[in-house]
Amino acid sequence: MLQQTAVNVPSRSSAIVAVEKLVKRFGQFTALNDVNLTVAAGEKIVLCGPSGSGKSTLIRCINHIERHDSGRIVVTGVELTDRMTDINSVRREVGMVFQSFNLFPHLSIVENCMLAPIKVRGLSRKEARERAMGVLRRVRIHDQADKYPGQLSGGQQQRVAIARALCMQPKVMLFDEPTSALDPEMVKEVLDTMMGLARDGMTMICVTHEMGFAREVADRVVFMDRGTIVEEADPETFFRAPRTERAKGFLQQIIH
Amino acid sequence: MNSLDFSIVVQAWPYLWLGLVFSLALTAAAFLIGMILGTLFALVQHFEVPVAGRLVRAYIALIRSIPLILVLFWFFFLVPIVLGHLSGTGRPVPIGANWTAFITFGLFEAAYYSEIIRVGLRAVNRGQFEACQALALSTFHTYRCVILPQVLRVASPIILSQTIILFQDTSLVYVLSLTDLLGAASKLAQLNGRLVEMYVVVALVYLGISSAASQWVASLRKRYAMAGTRR
Repeated sequence: MLQQTAVNVPSRSSAIVAVEKLVKRFGQFTALNDVNLTVAAGEKIVLCGPSGSGKSTLIRCINHIERHDSGRIVVTGVELTDRMTDINSVRREVGMVFQSFNLFPHLSIVENCMLAPIKVRGLSRKEARERAMGVLRRVRIHDQADKYPGQLSGGQQQRVAIARALCMQPKVMLFDEPTSALDPEMVKEVLDTMMGLARDGMTMICVTHEMGFAREVADRVVFMDRGTIVEEADPETFFRAPRTERAKGFLQQIIH
Repeated sequence: MNSLDFSIVVQAWPYLWLGLVFSLALTAAAFLIGMILGTLFALVQHFEVPVAGRLVRAYIALIRSIPLILVLFWFFFLVPIVLGHLSGTGRPVPIGANWTAFITFGLFEAAYYSEIIRVGLRAVNRGQFEACQALALSTFHTYRCVILPQVLRVASPIILSQTIILFQDTSLVYVLSLTDLLGAASKLAQLNGRLVEMYVVVALVYLGISSAASQWVASLRKRYAMAGTRR
């Protein structure tokens, strides 16, 4: 699974996320214009591009936090439409990590991780706690389990946010600039956690400007600009020889 | 005027105590009814429920523009007549001073609590709602487990202020010939002429209870602190 090096567009049947001709507008502004993206199980995608290019909007459409205007989005075999009555059957399978963590400030770390498994997956408190502690151990933060989010550093909070999403045992993880709000010295601990996740075979779609991470983990780098996908390549090719001027300009700006 | 004689208060205490118990019971009942209804009212507005949202808004605007004492009067005299019409006999159906007090205070306070909670709901960070969506929490669980607990924590000082006002407002039940703490004191004072002593003691009781309540909420806030929450 991890041996693919060239651009490898997976077949529809193995696709865990399939986006076709996606259009999303905010009033007059077209945030996404005819976006096509297919992600196979186990694949790691890094989405990059200048701010306002639509990358966050794209992953927010994938779990229907933003509603798209036209086109198709199929996640784990279920198509997202406005008329769907049970969007949560899809969201259950999709984990999301936000730039601003969005932990629940009134719940302790372990309770943050237990809430959805109890209420959505129907686990008992005991099962949920065991699962939460296991995942917190995996992100190496189990010794803080009874603290509250406000008592943790940004990097720790983001690792808890990753753990909270993992406790739902999702099939795909979406990361929306997970390290952008962090102090520089905390970026690494979050990236290390994400790399561990990648090694375990999680399907990941990451919006990030961390090119070191992209180089090491990504199967494909998807470069977006002004609401469209401009370039798609394996990281080696993308960083060494970007085909488009826009990608070249972007890379020059972020790699000093 | 004679020198102060507080021994009179000791004799009067059993009667004052009854008044105090009534005040506390009415406050507790009005708080419960008011918070439950107020939360519902706030949610109806928050979700912009088509007809109900407008009705609730009109109700709150009306209640907030009328003095409580007037609402008490209305309720006491009008509701029996309305009930009489509804029952078809045309004869007023008295509901009694106690029921009037408990129901009116509950409905009245609901309007105020509702405004507090409505504002609190708007203050919750949008990211909290998105995190709930991303975790596939139902709307019910989103509000029950994540949003409302945060609203109550943030709004607790204002809810407390409103409840202290409510506690003091219970003295208005004198218009229904009910006897609360202040009512008991003033009746006794008229009998024994010890106005100053009675009112000083009553003031101290109000002060003691109100500041105890403030302390209690402060300690609750500390215990459930969202310590150093960064938003």
